[in-house]
Amino acid sequence: MIKIRGLKKWFDTRRGRVDALRGIDLAIAEKEFFVLLGPSGCGKTTTLRCVAGLERPDAGELEIAGRIVNSPERRIYVATEKRDIGMVFQSYAIWPHMNVFQNVAFPLIRGRKRFGREVVAEKVKRALHLVHLDGLEDRPATDLSGGQQQRVAMARAVVTEPKILLMDEPLSNLDARLREQMRVELKKITRAVGVTTLYVTHDQAEALSLGDRVCVMHGGEVLQTAAPDEVYARPANLFVAEFVGEMNFIKGKVASGRIECPLGVLSLPVPAASDAVTLAIRPEHVRISASDGASGALVGTIASKNYLGDAALLEIEINGVTLLAKLAGDTDITVGQKTSVILPPERWRVFPS
Amino acid sequence: MSIATDAAAAPSVDIKPSGTGLFAGGLTALLLVMVGAPLAMIVLMSLRTGFPGEGGPLTLANFAAVYSHPGTYKVLANTLLFASGTVVVTLIFAVPLVWLLMRTDLPFKGTIYVLMTVGILIPVFLRTIAWILLLSPRIGLVNQWARQLFGLEQPLLSLYNIPGMAFIQGVSFVPSAFFMLAAAYRTMDPALEEAAYTSGVSKLQTFLRINVPITLPAIAGVTVYLFMTAIAVFEVPAIIGFPARILVLSALIFTSTNPPTGLPNYGHAGAYGAIMLVAGLVFAYFYVRIVQHGKKYTVITGRGYRPREIALGRWRWPALAFALIYLSMEVFIPFLVLVWVSLLPHLQLPSAEAFAQISLDNFEHIFDHVGALPFINTAVLMFAVPTATMIFSVLVSWVVVRTNVSFRGSLDTLAFLPHALPGILLAVGLAYLGLAYRNYFPVYGTIAIIAIAHTITWIAYGTRTTNSIMIQVHRELEEAGKVSGASTPTVLGRIVLPLIAAGIFNSWIWISMLSYREVTMALALGTRKNLVISTVVWQFWGNGWVPQVAALGVILVLFAVLVVGGLKLGFSRLGEWQS
Repeated sequence: MIKIRGLKKWFDTRRGRVDALRGIDLAIAEKEFFVLLGPSGCGKTTTLRCVAGLERPDAGELEIAGRIVNSPERRIYVATEKRDIGMVFQSYAIWPHMNVFQNVAFPLIRGRKRFGREVVAEKVKRALHLVHLDGLEDRPATDLSGGQQQRVAMARAVVTEPKILLMDEPLSNLDARLREQMRVELKKITRAVGVTTLYVTHDQAEALSLGDRVCVMHGGEVLQTAAPDEVYARPANLFVAEFVGEMNFIKGKVASGRIECPLGVLSLPVPAASDAVTLAIRPEHVRISASDGASGALVGTIASKNYLGDAALLEIEINGVTLLAKLAGDTDITVGQKTSVILPPERWRVFPS
Repeated sequence: MSIATDAAAAPSVDIKPSGTGLFAGGLTALLLVMVGAPLAMIVLMSLRTGFPGEGGPLTLANFAAVYSHPGTYKVLANTLLFASGTVVVTLIFAVPLVWLLMRTDLPFKGTIYVLMTVGILIPVFLRTIAWILLLSPRIGLVNQWARQLFGLEQPLLSLYNIPGMAFIQGVSFVPSAFFMLAAAYRTMDPALEEAAYTSGVSKLQTFLRINVPITLPAIAGVTVYLFMTAIAVFEVPAIIGFPARILVLSALIFTSTNPPTGLPNYGHAGAYGAIMLVAGLVFAYFYVRIVQHGKKYTVITGRGYRPREIALGRWRWPALAFALIYLSMEVFIPFLVLVWVSLLPHLQLPSAEAFAQISLDNFEHIFDHVGALPFINTAVLMFAVPTATMIFSVLVSWVVVRTNVSFRGSLDTLAFLPHALPGILLAVGLAYLGLAYRNYFPVYGTIAIIAIAHTITWIAYGTRTTNSIMIQVHRELEEAGKVSGASTPTVLGRIVLPLIAAGIFNSWIWISMLSYREVTMALALGTRKNLVISTVVWQFWGNGWVPQVAALGVILVLFAVLVVGGLKLGFSRLGEWQS
């Protein structure tokens, strides 16, 4: 549905050229929920704005539904208003001088395809029903709460039934509880509409829970594009590992095909052509048993315990390194206790450092 | 951002948007001519002798003549003393008033606020005239009264000296200083103050250690701005200074080009103007530096809560008295004096005899004296000047705020430059341009040349307001329109324009009023054909027609108050969603 090939964008500043996008390649399938994830300044929003036509790339090609909409080389640029898209902005961009109905109806009355009065009323009604704002048509935009503005923005974006829905951190201005609630609803709404969605966020929990596929970006480049569980289980590189979820990192050296680290010598697959590596394991994969001295296991001391209710986070000191372990449910392990620690070899990830 | 420049024939093909750049370039060039031409004329006239348009070789004779004359240095000293005194008077009133109105529970704050605005609408020359009617050594009502009562030989109080001039000018500057400082206060995060209270610091200590240091850059900026303006003002120096024989630079420039007897000497005016111009630009530079420096302190928070007001306690009434004393000097006393004088056949103290003579005769006959032309001309100014200024300002701000044209910063500076250009100089420069190049610029002696001068002057003010209006309209509101499929004209017409209309209209009224009460430029560019109401009042005063001056002055002020009050009231509903 959306194809992005070699997309590049740079800004000329007083201190020289700054690259915002260094060649992005993406292919997003029809009805897919595709998430761009990355820290601020990674180029995710720029990519989204290029798709919307609000930003113009300096090189590369953009294709929406089989039609090239932007290609600097071929001097093609389809203006934003001529692209079949809907967009939810970070600030929601609800027009303050209009009421809810006027906001949602605007794309139908002044947009690409215009409709008669009755059709508009019907479509607006359906869109508002979809976002659970039935009956709020006459409410002035300025009298809406943050959550309601978010819903109006959503309704306005889908009211034309566009081929593509673009969302730029739509939940970042909501408080934590509302954000969780809206996350679930967002997914339902996009499913119901059956629209191809491109979603930008810096929140990894949001990305993992919403996306059919997640694309991790950094420094204007794509680092990994995969299903959420894949990104979580097998991060493609050290940055993805650091950014998505939490991990323990341990430095190691490669010696004759094996890895030496403070935890001992491990037989793990070594990435090609590297002698210094970083080992990584997720806290929930660190296993602990209270009975110390189990054969072959490492022995550590519990340095701290952080009880979270549904889980506990333990800091374990082993041979001068500190490992974080996450145990589900209750545990009677106490601070200062010596425990044996099991680190399943298949859970380790090895990255060249 | 790019605007869609594509033709309807080929909707998907686009040539890189050079349209925006071209438009911005043209706008910059036009503005450069508007601001640059009068400036160039000042320089040119200072290097030429003889009448405008006579040509001749460039010479430094004017500078030699002017700066070898010892009187010039006396004038410079007078100018500096007058300007310094003015700034001191203004700050003495403005700084406490800002703190009282922005941070304390002073009673009647709203009313005081409105009256400050009314203060701006009373033209400085009318206030000056009113104070002369009170404090002139010979005819002043206070001095007449003192003579009658105590048999004083000497006048009790006299305005005809530099402190008197600085007092009137200083009082007149207070509202603009107040509004500038209030803006700085508003951008200060009240949490900074509250953090001091929660740290256990007293109110006084907080004011001294937190408020003052944080607002110091703003106060410094206002001080420089006031000084810069005070050096160039003309009304008070002319009305008090001429009869008292206390000359300042602006008065010298004016008399050089509009001498009471003899021929105008534009060369000398240019030589005097050069020094004023240099001073103006230097101060403008410092002003911009200070303002930029001050910006690092100001934190604009999105949260819209009002900071807790400081309870004044038993100081409430003294504080209110302070505000009332100021408002009396600014508004009440001048206006009451004008009203009193306008109702009598000649200037006299209140008495049974005077009350018996009260009538509206002066008002009834005023139109016979004035004729229709000044009213028509004034109406033309009040409509043309704000309209032209706001069109320019919106276009400039659009380029500065919404595009990424490389020279948008320079355009912004260029639009701000008239702020540093004294009105009297701009007018003299334009007059010279109109006289010397009348074939290319045939507007000398028409109302158009005054309108042009006013427009150039208030582009600086207009662009400041349109910049902030444009910044307030979030870029995403426009983008959401485009994503909805609306064309650029539709987005501008249906989204941007309604959002900025209230703010634009506000500035429009304000500039209309500034143009209405302006007298310096209108006078310097004036002939018999382009008289406006303000210059008519000035002429009447010159002729000594005191009751007529008062009557026309009262009409002038009342009309302004009614227009602004009525429009603001009628428009406040429309502007609601903007706040």
